[in-house]
Amino acid sequence: MSATAHSASPATAAAAGAAPQSAALRSFEAQWHARRAGPLHALRESAMQRFVQLGLPTMRDETWRYTNLRALAAHAYVDAAGDAPAAALQSDSLRSPALRIVNGVPCAADRARLLENGLEIMPLSELLRGDPVLLRGFLEPLSDADQQRWALLNTALFVDGLYIRITARLAAPLRLVHVTAGPGAAHPRVIIEAAPGSAATIVEEHVSHGDADSLCNSVTQIAAGAGAEIEHYRIFRGGPRAAHIDTLDIRQAGGSRCKQFTICLGGALLRTNLEARLEAAGAALDSYALLVGHGSRHADCVNIATHSAPDTRSRQTARIIASGDSRVIFNSKVIVCTGAVRSESMQSCRGLLMSPAAEIDTRPQLEIHTDEVKCAHGATTGRLDPDMLFYMLSRGLDRRTAQSLLVYAFLADVMTDMSPAAGRDSIDSALLAQLPESDLLRGLR
Amino acid sequence: MLKISNLTARVAGKNILNGVDLEVNAGEIHALMGPNGSGKSTLAQILAGREDYEITGGSVLFEGRDLLALPPEERARAGLFLGFQYPVEIPGVNNVYLLKAALNAKRKAAGEPEVDAYEFLALIKQKMKFMQMSESFLTRGVNEGFSGGEKKRNEVLQMLVLEPKLAILDETDSGLDIDALKVVSNGVNSLRDPHRSVVLVTHYQRLLDYIVPDRVHVFSGGRILKSGDKSLALELEKRGYDWLQESRVA
Repeated sequence: MSATAHSASPATAAAAGAAPQSAALRSFEAQWHARRAGPLHALRESAMQRFVQLGLPTMRDETWRYTNLRALAAHAYVDAAGDAPAAALQSDSLRSPALRIVNGVPCAADRARLLENGLEIMPLSELLRGDPVLLRGFLEPLSDADQQRWALLNTALFVDGLYIRITARLAAPLRLVHVTAGPGAAHPRVIIEAAPGSAATIVEEHVSHGDADSLCNSVTQIAAGAGAEIEHYRIFRGGPRAAHIDTLDIRQAGGSRCKQFTICLGGALLRTNLEARLEAAGAALDSYALLVGHGSRHADCVNIATHSAPDTRSRQTARIIASGDSRVIFNSKVIVCTGAVRSESMQSCRGLLMSPAAEIDTRPQLEIHTDEVKCAHGATTGRLDPDMLFYMLSRGLDRRTAQSLLVYAFLADVMTDMSPAAGRDSIDSALLAQLPESDLLRGLR
Repeated sequence: MLKISNLTARVAGKNILNGVDLEVNAGEIHALMGPNGSGKSTLAQILAGREDYEITGGSVLFEGRDLLALPPEERARAGLFLGFQYPVEIPGVNNVYLLKAALNAKRKAAGEPEVDAYEFLALIKQKMKFMQMSESFLTRGVNEGFSGGEKKRNEVLQMLVLEPKLAILDETDSGLDIDALKVVSNGVNSLRDPHRSVVLVTHYQRLLDYIVPDRVHVFSGGRILKSGDKSLALELEKRGYDWLQESRVA
């Protein structure tokens, strides 16, 4: 297929009559115009058109009511370079072996090193040329839902990404390190297909390089076949000027089990979406969110679990700590569709406020369209338990130590369910670094 | 060791302690008995430094120091120990870790070096054996999932490791079966020493069959109504608390 830059885009025309476009939206359109037409062009163009028509989400949109994107909207983003500086590849958070993805483009040498039996890894740019039909299945259908808005933009603008197919039970965790090297916007896309009966642990870590304003609009899709077992981590460790919008889509076939950890340890602005669909009997999801609000960070986490088949189970656990003048939002929702009888769901969210200026908002929601289901939810936000604190003081521990221990203990529910192989210790260390009295805590362990 | 003079306190505008006088000398064991709601536990909590109460009058001297001026952690390091009536569960904080941090805080305050990890483990294993506690408690969170009896054993275990000068045990006997009661009593008795004092807060005389007190005080209406020797406890067992309250009114 010949590659031609396309000059006029219906995307522009569609938005012509709408409200004045933000600088960000115009810059995304400019990115689109600079793309060369390739396979699946019509689909991607349609995604772009819909994104432009819908515009950036505002606080009037249901799942965006706590997050103001005004600052982001005022920013004009260039396409973050695929050939990022070599320094970006030297991220200190790297532990070998990992597959580095810089501004959405996977590092070929890393990929070669990671291949093993039962694991296929292919760059999306290759899949796009070689098997666009397979890829189309993952890019469609397009959704207008406001929590999926940025996925439309990703579908239009991803330059490259990864298609990972797991066909066996993998012994070692697969580590992906996404580096956003600013300035500019990157749209990494990762598609993971787990064949029936396969098992894998996948750790996606997002870091930023350099101190320029950057935006990462990442999308990961996981399709777990019947009986597959997937443990997935997304760890956000962006710099103090990094904005990140991440969308994770999980589809689970019968008897599949998925354990998902969302860990926020960095960035200025973070929005995470999780949509999990339990599509056949026996599918089970355990999702964990460990969200640390630090400095003036804004982190907004939206989790939606949809039970569309009988005998499915979901558990959502969130632990939030907010200090400084940070703001952390956790929105979880369980939807039980008609006919999904004997579904079981649990939502547990606990927040801990560490300073008067910090804010935590939680909103557990249930939408049930059938009888005979068991759905529980609970959300609490508060300060450290005075009884626990007094008990420790009465044993002679100084107040700082006692408080630090309690903060750390607060997160224990989530930490203990992580597998050591997935890098629990390094997550633990990164977490400690953002807690009050981190030096003290390190010495205590 | 401990000298409480005319101590009065209130919480949420309600007077709870109405002039407590109590003197405990080194080496003595005192039992503080009385009906529910008489203020015994409040006194224990105030002595340990709980801040929810407003001290409205009186004084407390611990080894000649003004106890009420010290924050709870300094009271503990100075050698005061409170065995809680309802020990709190602290999931995620390791039971042994807390104990080690507590011991080191005390040693540091006394200008002693921190305890060696290896020595500490040996020490705690020995004390756990004495308290007939399973070693599985080593790895569990503080009181996490412990039964009522296990929590009380754990309180006494902490006391044995910390070797306080003054232990205030708030209903450490309640909820214990007879075997556990013996174990807990043995723990307390093992600490008996001419330089150490114990205040037992209890409802029941049966504890005093195992831990023989030097003095028994009857607490009621936020003060001590009557003091005596061990025979007072036996008399209370026979005649109930009403007898004393009636005689007071009369």
